[in-house]
Amino acid sequence: MKVIRLLLLCSLLLLQTGCWNRVELNDIAIISATGVDWENGKWVLTNQIVIPKAISGQAGGGRTAAVNVFSSTGDNFRIAISKASQESSRRLYFSHNQIVVIGQEAARKGFGPLLEAYLRNHDSRETVDVFLSKSTARLMLEQLMPLEQIPGAAIQRMIVNEEKNSSSYRQMTIHQVLMDLLGHTKATSIPGLALAGSEESTDKVEALSHTSTPSKVRLSELGLIYGDKLVGWISDEQSKGVMWLTNNVDKATVSFACSAEGKGREGSSARILHSSTKLKPQQRGDKWVMKVDIAAEGSLLESDCGGNLMKPEEVREVEQLVEKRIASIIADGWEAVRKNKTDVLGFGTQIYKQYPKAWKAMESRWKEEFPLMEIELTVNMKLSSTGMSGKSFKEAQKKPGL
Amino acid sequence: MTQTKKPALTPLSPSLRANVQAVNARFGGSSDLVVRLFRSDAAPERELGLLYLEGLVNTDVINESLLAPLMSMKLPPHMERKSDRLVEALRTSVVSIGGMKEAAALEEGLQQLTDGWCLIFIDGSTVALMAAVGGTKERAIGIPQTQTVIRGPQRGFVEELGTNISLIRRIIRTPDLHVQTHKIGTQTHSNVAVMHLHGVADQSIVKEVYRRLAAIDLDGILESGYIEEYIQDETFTMFPTLLNSERPDAVAAGLLEGRVAILVDGTPIALVAPTTFFSFFQSPEDYYQRFDIASFVRTIRYAAYVMSMLLPALYIAVTTFHQEMLPTTLLISLAAQREGVPFPGLVEALLMEMTFEVLREAGLRMPRAIGPAISIVGALVLGQSAVQAGIVSAGMVIVVSFTAISNFVMPENNMAATSRVIRFGIMIMAGMLGFFGIFISVLFVLAHLASLRSFGVPYMSPIAPGAKNSGLWRDVFVRAPWWSIMLRPLDMKLRNPRRQSSGRKPPAQRH
Repeated sequence: MKVIRLLLLCSLLLLQTGCWNRVELNDIAIISATGVDWENGKWVLTNQIVIPKAISGQAGGGRTAAVNVFSSTGDNFRIAISKASQESSRRLYFSHNQIVVIGQEAARKGFGPLLEAYLRNHDSRETVDVFLSKSTARLMLEQLMPLEQIPGAAIQRMIVNEEKNSSSYRQMTIHQVLMDLLGHTKATSIPGLALAGSEESTDKVEALSHTSTPSKVRLSELGLIYGDKLVGWISDEQSKGVMWLTNNVDKATVSFACSAEGKGREGSSARILHSSTKLKPQQRGDKWVMKVDIAAEGSLLESDCGGNLMKPEEVREVEQLVEKRIASIIADGWEAVRKNKTDVLGFGTQIYKQYPKAWKAMESRWKEEFPLMEIELTVNMKLSSTGMSGKSFKEAQKKPGL
Repeated sequence: MTQTKKPALTPLSPSLRANVQAVNARFGGSSDLVVRLFRSDAAPERELGLLYLEGLVNTDVINESLLAPLMSMKLPPHMERKSDRLVEALRTSVVSIGGMKEAAALEEGLQQLTDGWCLIFIDGSTVALMAAVGGTKERAIGIPQTQTVIRGPQRGFVEELGTNISLIRRIIRTPDLHVQTHKIGTQTHSNVAVMHLHGVADQSIVKEVYRRLAAIDLDGILESGYIEEYIQDETFTMFPTLLNSERPDAVAAGLLEGRVAILVDGTPIALVAPTTFFSFFQSPEDYYQRFDIASFVRTIRYAAYVMSMLLPALYIAVTTFHQEMLPTTLLISLAAQREGVPFPGLVEALLMEMTFEVLREAGLRMPRAIGPAISIVGALVLGQSAVQAGIVSAGMVIVVSFTAISNFVMPENNMAATSRVIRFGIMIMAGMLGFFGIFISVLFVLAHLASLRSFGVPYMSPIAPGAKNSGLWRDVFVRAPWWSIMLRPLDMKLRNPRRQSSGRKPPAQRH
């Protein structure tokens, strides 16, 4: 009897409190991407909702778009989200959000409130990737992508692929952005998205039935952020320099010309397989110099330099060409960042780490001090492989005696 | 010796007719009681009576070894026709049968009759002769039906106790293998044999088994399950605290480890006690195949057991509480499957689990001839069609199927059954409280397991209480090579805990 009574009591406990945050899979709207825009003095929050039925392999897939995009406006983020229930049948579910796109307007205005919302709410993950958009964020979310069914996930995979294979941009998660902006230099860089191709946007499923889509979302330019505002853009090439300086180059392809001055057509290329950048700030008089030490290793992909690469000294010559090219990429990037007066390179942090006292004195003037810095570059390139052939194709064609 | 109140014994009468009549009366004139009255050449003036129950005896033996010598016997002259001498003479020099006894009371004779002995009354004598002429038709020793192995002996127990004991004796050939037979059941008088390896098994446990068996006062013991419920340490537990097996090699292995085996007449299932939780994960085959493979398979068995208990609950918890834990693509495909499913995840899971349990039970009970029908109904109608009709999601069917299959990995069916029942409780907890509910349930089950004992041996040993001697861990989660398993596994005061001397690792042979 006692046991039965106890069991009854226990089941009562379950019934009283159980299930309060239970939610079925078909009661949630899985969001794959969020866009933030600033329009007419209000935040416009755009959500890209996954339509699971359209994705699963069964009949019906392919005919309809796999995602639905809708916006809601409000004075702050959470009110805009809660307004979404006026037009959505299901609860918005942010845990599987892949990317956040910040429109150019919103970025210029300052996206601090977005970061605040991300820090405060448990259902928003800090592993979400952040992008800037050259136009509105909504436009980016509306684009369909070939190969992938969920555009949000596609963009996320795009940046991962880029980071891994050519290192022009790096993946910036909300977490990373927060770390940078809450750090000493209060600056960071976020890759931008732009619509390439014709003006017509790829927001219809029919557009994907052609072999080439009229327009496509691509990574384009690096946005420099100071505080929580967009300061300026730097180009793809300059972004590469930034990546080298911030030790974010993993694998990349560097093209170079054969002449010693680095002039002429860049007919050769080398693949960087591994690289590391060491930064060492030094104070010279009242000027700060950043010593940049780069050790890279890679293999030759393509060469029109002639010569016989079976000989080590000729390989060394090619290595020097690559080193020069890397140095010039870095110098370009450095100039561009310096012009924008934004320390997205983390030089300030390096100074803080090694000369905390000097940094303290300088911290308030850093925005002025930073552009006065100089860099001293040492690049050390090692070609560990020249590929399967020694001489270049043209060289091999030249028969002796002809 | 097991009955507490012994009925009063009736002494035999010197009159043959009276004795036969008394037996006949006690059997209520049963038609299978055969009474054969005859006279012997040696003592033609005295009538002899042979009684037996038809079907329990071997008539060939009666004809050749009993009736023929009795009828044609010639007594040596010194053995005159004195009645007491005659009985002695018959026993020592006439009847050529191994098992012979004398009975002075009617009840003794009746008991032996039901055991398949025959009764010989001699007119004028108050002592009856009893001869073992049993020989009923028995099922031949066959392949074990429930516990199959690929490598290993293919002999299983049968229903006859004597055969079963002999099967074990044929494996452990030592006089130290002691057998004590008890008669349990006030009506069935079933023979229950308790076996142990003298000098290895803990004597106090053997005595405890005798004591618990003696306390049984049921009218009938039809299967070892009856005994199991009487002698287990804890009734209100879903976990079996006695191992059962229909494999003589498994029982012999238990005996060698210092356990006690209990065999019941009429069933091929023997009990082994004491036992621990981990014994249920050890298949006899673990010891016959290579130790590394056996360890791998055993690990899988543990994993499958956990799966069979927790998988549906985990599925419910993840899909209704913790969607953020899933990879996005998986979440989307699960969500797509759930589109249009009318029930909440918990109801869906309970529905499918119940369906499977019904199918299982039906498959077990139905006549063999309609076997294919149930597989069609089960696999096609309930599985595929339920998904197509949108009643359950495909993911749920996969989960339920995998759960069901992992349940069959267990070498011991009764342990597998436990997880089937517990699974439902955990599912409901998961449906109400998510992972938190699963956590509480698992904690509860673990605490309960740690509280159990089997004949005084902690059920979770050697884990709880943790055995300090590393030798006791070599046959728990993995099976170490034989030469390294020096100790008998039970964490108790065994008479002889070592099963081999150390340093028996075979040296590597290099040529």
